Order: sequence, then structure tokens, then C-alpha cells
Amino acid sequence: MLTLTFANIKMMARNYHTTFWALFFPLLLVVVFGLFDVGGGPRPATITIIDDARTPAAQELKASLAQVHSLEISNAPGGLNAARQRLAKGGLDYLLVIPSGFGAAGAEQPPVTLQYDAAEQERSQLVEGLVRDLAIQAVQSPGSSAAPALVRAEGIAVNKPSYFDLVLLGLVGFGTMTHSIISIAVRITAYRNQSIYKRLLVTPLPVWKYFAAEIGAHLALALAQAAIILGLGVLAFGARFNGNVLAVFAVVLLGSIVFLNIGFIVSAWTNTPAAASGLGNAVALPMLFFSGAFFATTSLPWVLPVLVQGLPLTPMLEAMRLIALQGAPLWSTWPQLAMLTGWVAGTALVAVKVFRFN
Amino acid sequence: MDEAVRVEGLTKRFGSFTAVSDISFTVKTGEIFGILGPNGAGKTTTLEIIEGLQKPSQGQVTVLGMNVLKESARIKSRIGVQLQSSAYFDYLSLRELLVLMGSFYGRRVDADSLLNTVGLLDKAKSRVAKLSGGQKQRFTVAASLVNDPELIILDEPTIGLDPQARRHLWELIRQVHQRGVTVMLTTHYMDEAQVLCQRLAIMDHGQLVAVDTPQNLVGRLQATYTVKLVLTQALNGAQLEALQGLAASVQALEGNTYILRLDKTPRALDKALDAIVQGNISLEHLEVAPVTLEDVFLELTGTELRD
Repeated sequence: MLTLTFANIKMMARNYHTTFWALFFPLLLVVVFGLFDVGGGPRPATITIIDDARTPAAQELKASLAQVHSLEISNAPGGLNAARQRLAKGGLDYLLVIPSGFGAAGAEQPPVTLQYDAAEQERSQLVEGLVRDLAIQAVQSPGSSAAPALVRAEGIAVNKPSYFDLVLLGLVGFGTMTHSIISIAVRITAYRNQSIYKRLLVTPLPVWKYFAAEIGAHLALALAQAAIILGLGVLAFGARFNGNVLAVFAVVLLGSIVFLNIGFIVSAWTNTPAAASGLGNAVALPMLFFSGAFFATTSLPWVLPVLVQGLPLTPMLEAMRLIALQGAPLWSTWPQLAMLTGWVAGTALVAVKVFRFN
Repeated sequence: MDEAVRVEGLTKRFGSFTAVSDISFTVKTGEIFGILGPNGAGKTTTLEIIEGLQKPSQGQVTVLGMNVLKESARIKSRIGVQLQSSAYFDYLSLRELLVLMGSFYGRRVDADSLLNTVGLLDKAKSRVAKLSGGQKQRFTVAASLVNDPELIILDEPTIGLDPQARRHLWELIRQVHQRGVTVMLTTHYMDEAQVLCQRLAIMDHGQLVAVDTPQNLVGRLQATYTVKLVLTQALNGAQLEALQGLAASVQALEGNTYILRLDKTPRALDKALDAIVQGNISLEHLEVAPVTLEDVFLELTGTELRD
């Protein structure tokens, strides 16, 4: 099997045209995004709320903030300290701490604390005003005689990822996805048309070894591709990379297996390499635009922000960004990894069902 | 073991189409056995069942004493196969391809020695796409030998080759055979079957028409020459009767064409030619040739061998 894996790697590496174009487009985009200050467009600010009060007034304040369209409530796994770290690393725009005693009857109202990126002074003043209004509204609701609450605003220095930092990992996902889906689908249809599979089937080589070798070779090249894209982005254009590169590679491998399975399925539904390439692109490109590779999915209209959460590229990008930009450990991205694992299992079942040698 | 392959009552259907219909034959160990027939006769389907690529609809096939349905993997490890239309991986040299093919059998292959056997050592670093048609076919034979097989199965090994390349390949097949390998091949070339094969099965429309040595098959006709007549108009009753009196058989084909098979009596050819001249037969074209397998095929199937 190792011989076949190395032979596959050798064949793919010697196929200069395919290898070049598979790398060229993601690298071209790295250069474009690296050289030009291309913004990602407006997106809602994220806010994490730590509720130490657990009073009806605190509940009302949280409910009111959830109604604000320009704010997106972000959960706080790990509590206050983790949220502070996220804010400091730019993974969060605002951190609101509601202290114990907030909204308690008769007591003097302790101020809520709003922490934000000191560089975002203008926007933060608007958010601070909004929070103040809603806090006052909450503590003065019917039945409450408490005095108006204050907001203590604290601007802190945030090492926030730039748009290029975010998009670089989007390009790693893009390269992994398109190379995995299209390369395997085109190879399989070509081998099928050239009767290469027939030649393999008259040998005692077990079919699973053939697939393992194909997948192994593609995974090796996916890692090489990810390393080249990240290397160019970080070394040539100064992109930020705060996390564990091996953890990012682990996510690349998991995502690549999902996309290879999709490639196997695409090959079963097409008869020629050209058709496989066309269908592969038709599957990959919408996923590229809807999964947050280039812009935030929260700005998508209608129910799309919810639907795109189910696409395999979305958790892959989320996990890579959490690890690479916020220094999150691999295990902490388990929700994204679980979703990717689900995709691995689901697509593998379909691929086994529909794959054909003839 | 005396038999390398045993086929008993083999039938293969694809939906309502019967590709192979109730055929039985054996291939003896150490012989070169050919299946002769036109395209669509069922030769490749028969081979693919023997190779384990397809399952029979009915009947039994054993290869090297093992049932193809039950011991397919063991059979595959002991036979070599050259498919009619198979290609090889791009971007690998001939040497690398043979090493890779050997790994499928768990073997370390001396690729240069194999390439030397088929006269391609100087092409060891070339890719298959750069080879001529004859070189490609010789390479496919080399690839079928990577596991040192007891039986090799060659499907139309010389199809599309020029006469010189065909002869080179015949010589190579003989060399392989001399190493003690049983050879089973299909062909639709009469000369190839006659020159190369020790025994032949003739197939047409999925059925087995005859199995014997080429010499015995030709001997069955009881004739020495054939005369092919192409006429401007069909023979009348008297003309046909005159010719039937002289020939072992007269066979009418399409397009006012007749085949006279002359028996082994002295001066049979002279008499036939005299009868043609004196019978006022409107002759357009005439060919005289010794009896060959083609005549056997014509006699057995009633049609000329189609491409």
C-alpha cells in the first residue's frame, strides 16, 4: 500500500499542470488579499455577556441586547477569563459583565462593566450608550424601584486579526476543498475511462488498499498545499498565526477527508473528467461563498446564516481560525470537529454506496 | 494438474442479451490455447469470467483447480492478465510501473530483467504514452508477468499492430510459453490462431462452434484448395450442378459469391477451372488458395469472419 501511496504522490507531483493550477489560484488570492487592503464588509459586533447577578433585571438586559441587530451574542465557554482572553485576541468585540446585585431590590446598583477594543473608540461609544439605556430600562422596569445603573467602560489593547488574517485561513479551506473534490473526481473518471481500474481488479490488490493509498496521497498533498499557502501569507505578507500549526493541519486533514468523500460521490455521478470537474466546481464554489471563506456568513440574507452552519467548510474554517488566530487548543474546537466527523461518516456512507469502478 | 482452465456449461447474460451461451472447454497445462471468433462472439466476456472480472450467469469455471467464484483472490495471484483495452498510470516510467504492479502481488520485481525479456530495457525510463503500438503491447505482456504466473491470459494481444510488430509479439508469446507458462489468448486473426495456437476454440454469437488443433480443424474439411468465385450474375441450376459434381462443397455467399472446396483427388483444380470456362460462367473475379482456418470458420458458421 505504501508503494501505491508514494506512486500516487509521485504521479500527482509530476502532473505539473494540475498541481500548478491547484496551487496557483489560492496563492494568487493570497497575493491579491495580501497586497491590497480588501475589506470584508460590515458585520455585526460580537458580545459575550457574563451574568453574575442572575436577577430578572439581568435577564431583561440580556434579552434586550439579543434584540439588537447590530450585535451578535456569543456564548462564553470557559467563563470570564476565557472571554477576556478572546477579547484580548480579537475573537470578540465586547465583553459585558453584569455584577451580582445588579437589579436587586432596594440596593445601590453596581455598574455593569463593558470591555472593548480601545482602537474601536467611535463604535464603542455607541454600544456603551446603548448598553446604558438598556441597563437603565431593565432596572427601572415595573416593580423595581432601583436607581439608574451606570456602565463602566474599559477600553483595552486588543491584538485583533485583520481581514487578511481571516481570509488567509479561508484560502487554506478553499484550496483544500477544491483540490480534494476535483482532483479525486477527475482522476477516478479518467482511470475508469482508460480501464485502469479493470487492470487493477485483475490483480489481488484489495480494493480498500487502493482507496487508502489514494486518500493518503491526497492528504499528503493537502498538507503541503496548506503549508505553502500559510507560509506565503505569514512570511511574505505578515499574516498573524498565534496557534499550533499541527492542530491546524489536523483540521485540514479532517476537512480534506470530507471533501475527498464528496469527490468520490461526484465521480460516481459523472462519466468524463470534464463533467467531473464541472460538477466538482458546482459543488465547491457555492460552499466557498456561503461558508465564510471571504466574508462573514452573518451578513447573509434570510435563513442562509443558519443553513450555512451545516456546510462542512464552515466548521473547518471556524476551527482553523479559532486555533490559528485565538490560540485555541484543538480540543476546544470539539463542536466544529464533531460536525466535521459527522460529515466524514455521512459522506463515506454515500460514497461507498454509489462508487463504481465501471 | 493437467487442466489449467475448465469451463463447464458457461452462460453469461446481460439483461435479455446472451453474450455467452452454454459453452464448455478445457485448457491443458502448458499449451497455447486460442479462442477465435469475430468481435461480439463472446471471447472477451468468457475471458473476463475466467479472470474474475465478471460473474457467470450459469455454469462453472475453475482456474488452476480453483473455483473462480470462491477463490478469486488466490487465482488472481497466480495468473497474469493482459486486457484488450487497459491503460496504465500516467506519469510513471515503465520501470516504476512494473515495480508498482509487482507490489500489488506482494512481490519485489526485477523490472529491468522483465523489460529486457520483452526488448524494452532501453525504454525503462520512458512512459507508456511515448511507446509505439507494438512496444505498448510488449509492455502489457511484461506487466502480465510481474507475478511469475502459471497461466497468462491475453485478450487480442496483436490487435491494431502492423505485420512486423505482430510477428515480434508472436515470438515473445512463444518465449513466455517456453518458460513453462500456459498461454490462453483470444484473437480474430486466422493466421495468428493458426501459427500460434496448439488448440483452438471457435466462437460465434456466444456459442462454441468447435474445439480442436488447427490441423484437425482444417483436416475436417476434406479439401485441399478453395476457389472463390465472384460472378456478375448468380449461377443457374445447370452451372451449380456442374460445379457441385466437381467440388467437395459449394457454398453460396452474398453478392453472387461462391466458395468451392476442392477435395484431395488428383487434378481437382484443373477440372474445376475447366468447368468454369466451359460452363459460360460470367466471372468477375477468381481466387485460388489452400484451405485455411478461414474456410473452417466459413464452413462452421456460414459467414466470413467479421471485424
